[in-house]
Amino acid sequence: MAGINSLFKTKILLKPNTFSAIVQNGMAIFPSYYIEPIYKKEDQEALKKSGEISEYVHMPTKAALNSQTCSVSYDPILSLFTNYLMRKGQKELARNLVERSLEQVKRIQLERYHKCNSDEERAKIELNPKIIFHRAVENGKPLLQLMPVKRGGVKYQVPVPISEYKARFLSMNWLIEAGREKDRTKVRFWTQLARELVDASNNTGKVVRRKQELHKQCEANKAYAHYRWS
Amino acid sequence: MLNVTAKLLLRSTFHKSIQIRLVAATAEAHHEQILQSFRTPVTNPTEHNSDHLARLYSIPKEDKTVLFQHGGLPKIFATHIKTFNETCLMVREPALDIINCLKTIDYNKPVVRFVLYGQKGTGKSLSLAHIIHYAYLNDYLIVHVPWVGNWMRRPKDNSNSETKQGFMDLNIDAAAWLLHFKTQNAKLLKNPDLKISREIHWTKRETTPKDSTLTELIEHGINRIRFASNCINILAEEIKLLSCAGLCKTLVAIDGFNAFFYPKTRVFADRREIVPPNRITLTEGFLNLTKFDWKNAAVVVTVDELVIAAEDQTSHLPRYLLGKTGFEHLDPFIPVEVTGFSKKEHQSIMDYFRERKWIQPYQGIDEELYFLSNGNPFYLLDLVKSY
Amino acid sequence: MLNLTRNLELSFRKIDKPLYKAYCNASQGKHDEFKALNIRNVKDHSHSKRSVKKTQVLPPRTNQMAVDQDWGSVWPGPRSFHPATVPLPIRQGYTEKGAPPPDKYANAELMKIPNFLHLTPPVIKRQCEALKQFCTPWPKALDTMEKINKHFPIEVTSSDYCYSGPSIRDPMARIVTLRFNLKSLNLDDRAKDKFLRLVGDRYNKETDLVTIVADRCPLRKQNMDYVMYLLTALYHESKKIEPWEELKSQADMEYYDWTKHASKTNVEDIFKCKFEEIPGIDKFSDAVSEYMNEGENEYTIKKYGEAVRTLLQLPFSKEITNKPL
Repeated sequence: MAGINSLFKTKILLKPNTFSAIVQNGMAIFPSYYIEPIYKKEDQEALKKSGEISEYVHMPTKAALNSQTCSVSYDPILSLFTNYLMRKGQKELARNLVERSLEQVKRIQLERYHKCNSDEERAKIELNPKIIFHRAVENGKPLLQLMPVKRGGVKYQVPVPISEYKARFLSMNWLIEAGREKDRTKVRFWTQLARELVDASNNTGKVVRRKQELHKQCEANKAYAHYRWS
Repeated sequence: MLNVTAKLLLRSTFHKSIQIRLVAATAEAHHEQILQSFRTPVTNPTEHNSDHLARLYSIPKEDKTVLFQHGGLPKIFATHIKTFNETCLMVREPALDIINCLKTIDYNKPVVRFVLYGQKGTGKSLSLAHIIHYAYLNDYLIVHVPWVGNWMRRPKDNSNSETKQGFMDLNIDAAAWLLHFKTQNAKLLKNPDLKISREIHWTKRETTPKDSTLTELIEHGINRIRFASNCINILAEEIKLLSCAGLCKTLVAIDGFNAFFYPKTRVFADRREIVPPNRITLTEGFLNLTKFDWKNAAVVVTVDELVIAAEDQTSHLPRYLLGKTGFEHLDPFIPVEVTGFSKKEHQSIMDYFRERKWIQPYQGIDEELYFLSNGNPFYLLDLVKSY
Repeated sequence: MLNLTRNLELSFRKIDKPLYKAYCNASQGKHDEFKALNIRNVKDHSHSKRSVKKTQVLPPRTNQMAVDQDWGSVWPGPRSFHPATVPLPIRQGYTEKGAPPPDKYANAELMKIPNFLHLTPPVIKRQCEALKQFCTPWPKALDTMEKINKHFPIEVTSSDYCYSGPSIRDPMARIVTLRFNLKSLNLDDRAKDKFLRLVGDRYNKETDLVTIVADRCPLRKQNMDYVMYLLTALYHESKKIEPWEELKSQADMEYYDWTKHASKTNVEDIFKCKFEEIPGIDKFSDAVSEYMNEGENEYTIKKYGEAVRTLLQLPFSKEITNKPL
């Protein structure tokens, strides 16, 4: 009996991982040493020109995602925003919403453009919806964030510097939440989001206000800053 | 290896690439703006000829308000008019072909019927709008139905007809159409010669006397909504008589004509029973107008897949859409196909968009969009949303 | 070294003592005196080998066959292969690579397959000669296939095989197949249409052949009678005109006949004269018929549009004039 038990033990101890040569990268299909794909024609051309392409030719490369295209309208930040907007994997819906809001942005700006009387005023109006979107995201990025730290049984909201990635996420998420704050029956999401985008690109609106509120709170909690270390 | 990945990530700085492309293409755009080869200054469709093909002409604002105040232009196009601050139509071959035929027709012969057909979103309704503009400027009496589907698929109300047993009236829609007819033909209806040929008894007390003008008949239909459907049928007969008498020249333009022959409507009688179009009072009047037994007029209709139920949208060709009865009703008609954009037309519409600041001047955008839209104007309009 | 040996010894001691002892004494035992234990007390006796009785085999008959013998009487009927009777050095079968196929003796491969050793050309010739007295000569006038088909349009097929089973009656023998050209019946259009509807898929459009198979009766004679009855009945039924046949409407037509449709009356009403008098009507009627018969496609629509334009004397789309009228 004892022999059988010991047999089982050894079998359980035999993990397949210890024997396989491939290093698993979590749940990812591709191992961690695979490089990101170069899917833009321009990037490929640049690599070819500089001769660096020979470095990549035999590198194991991840397959490009469905959304990563070499289209002239492709914008990685916009596609990231689409992914943040997406709920329950409904990518088509999310993309449609983003496209429609960009259309609305164009309409808002063009209306202003046609109202202008002089060429100087017209030149000031930005008509590229993507640049407006980028500006809006940039303007919504906070510089600090609050982190709860427990000291002596009390939670203190401690201001800490924020990473670039987190700041961008917060800015985009605030934009999405601002788009959702509207009359449910009368206003469509894309209309509201377009308004917020235009406002944020002008450094006004809900998102910028929210950022400023966060900054204010950080300022108020400046005294707790040392809790970050001690 | 990590080094390589890091390098790659650094390389993909997105803003930069967009701006570079923009800068490269702006120079080109400036050059094109000066030439404006995509526009034509000729705003009268009568003077359009093959030289103006694939160019855009703008409909004057006052013409637009008269013709399309109560519908007639596709919804997305109507929003673009507001954004672009002008109404521009492209001179395309189907409309030009029909206008050319309208010029040469012998109006003493029976009515000639034209059928515009084509795949979804290729511009049948806008071709019809072009023809209507031509008719308006040449003093035709315009009988224009903006979209038959609105009656058969989305009626505002329905009630049993008082004059005909087993028929359904769509009175609110009918009254709205009478208003549309009145605004479109306001200029012609001032002519005192347009009189009705007989006395009409609406009820015991209400009558419209003989020799009262068409305007009075229409006004009666609008004010007494109960009789609006019936009024349209009488109006149709009167228009036919007047045209035969040579008092006016008529253009009948009906968008989504095949809805008059598609049995599955969304008009329901009592007990949720589907009413086929031949039991709707409005149908009779417009089928009467599309017959060949009168003269001094022309008929242009479009057949469209969108006007029938989604499960039956298998072909865009006229025989399928009209069915046997519809085909025999129109035969012999002249089929005119509306196709997607050619390369030249695509180029000019893209130039127009750029001039109107609707799209940004990226490099290589024209080829990409032509490929993606497959030359279909509606898809193109959908695709350029975020450019 | 010393350390290692001590370690070894210690480890050996840990193992069971008896095993250790057995191991140490193994070389001292006597192996040659080992005796098996006879529990049942069976007497020891040596086995005597059973002698195999050999049957005497005669030399094959082929050795004694004359060169000019009458083969038809050696092998008169169908029979499975026998190596001693067939004087041929036949080989059949598969062995390993390079070796020749096995010879005819005890060769199952040869016995499995049916042979035609009883049907050699001289034997057939002899049999035909014997049958000749019962046959009549082929009519000289029927020298070509056309003539045969003309004078004998009906072709009846049945099979005459012996069945290789408990009974020699072939179940297929009773089936009778009748085949003839539809043209040979000389039917008019209406009768032909009715005949085809009655026959259904028994008619082959490409070869113009009607094939009727009868297998419902137990005897061939009965099936044959039935087939002939069917042919007669079909012929007369298709010639007959029933009162309800007059009710055939346009929807029941097999093809679009322009002269019977609304299209014709429409055109006549427009021009207010008989359709024969209208110029360009042939092109139009052809176009409409093609449109309906061939189905709707870009080509037929285009043709129809052109025909209507010529009929109504309208300009073609290519002729858009450059001068406004």
